[in-house]
Amino acid sequence: MVLLGKVALGIAGTALAGLGLICSEGMIEVNVVEKQPEVHHVYVLAPAMLVPIATHLVPSRKLGRASAEIRPWMPTIRAALEQLRAGEDLTLVELREPGQHVLVAKSGGSVVVDVTDKDDIVHVSAPIRAIESTVEQVAAASSETQD
Amino acid sequence: MQKAMRAIGVCCVLALTISNLAVTAMAAPTERYIHIKVNDSSKGESVNVNLPLSMAAAILPTVNKGTLHNGHVTIGAADFNGVDVRAILQAIRTAPDNEFVTVKEKDQDVRVAKSNGDLIVHVLDKSKDGEKVDVTIPMKVVDALFSTAKENELDVAAAVRALSDAGDAVLVTVQDATEHVRIWIDSHSSAE
Repeated sequence: MVLLGKVALGIAGTALAGLGLICSEGMIEVNVVEKQPEVHHVYVLAPAMLVPIATHLVPSRKLGRASAEIRPWMPTIRAALEQLRAGEDLTLVELREPGQHVLVAKSGGSVVVDVTDKDDIVHVSAPIRAIESTVEQVAAASSETQD
Repeated sequence: MQKAMRAIGVCCVLALTISNLAVTAMAAPTERYIHIKVNDSSKGESVNVNLPLSMAAAILPTVNKGTLHNGHVTIGAADFNGVDVRAILQAIRTAPDNEFVTVKEKDQDVRVAKSNGDLIVHVLDKSKDGEKVDVTIPMKVVDALFSTAKENELDVAAAVRALSDAGDAVLVTVQDATEHVRIWIDSHSSAE
């Protein structure tokens, strides 16, 4: 009985440590509310670490075009993300027009995009580190395709 | 003896505190931001862009597209229309504060001046909804812009770095009947 308890404790501890590791890069949050014609609500909260892993699993040829386009811009993207990560929270872009509001901001180590219009409400939040890893994965796929 | 020791101890603590404050102040230079705000009252639209200048300075040298390379913009000789801009700027730099150009026409007023170390350009277009353009650029920024060795290049990255060292300033305002554009520099991360 004691052995069983120890095994259970070991499994629970390992699971908890794994969960902590998976969540260590933060969470990606996607919230979409369709207001018209019918109300639909999609909410996804996923560990950010899974995205670069998932990107790694996508065959290189599927990412060929995206990676070819993103590759020349990698130094710029790296510089921008590095500065963004180091800087304080701020609103980068805000657009308001009748019936529409778009906000792109850095908040707590994440890039947040909020779009509200008469039909939809979209909220996306992604940790900068996860964006960096994912973009690097996509860019790396290009070289694999070209080789 | 005890009093002297106490005084020395207080002095040491004070010195440590002051040096710590100085180190902190030196280690964390204030971030400066460029803000762009566009309001169109006729359409009820507004756009706000806030960008840390350090980010702009870091990004610019990495962009190699079109006429922008390594933070330098290449300008065709035709864009200068044969005017030796560097010679003009050198003359302006050494000249005292003054109004250099004043043009008054039926449809347009133009004024170029130097004031308190800033280059000021003021344009009033009377034909188009009374559009008014005011540009104020610190001379240090203008100098940085033309600091490249090549005649047909502008060093935008150097200009951005110079902007970081300049004080709070409204660089550009454009105002017409319905639209208002404002570009300015300060140390606040938000445009409000």
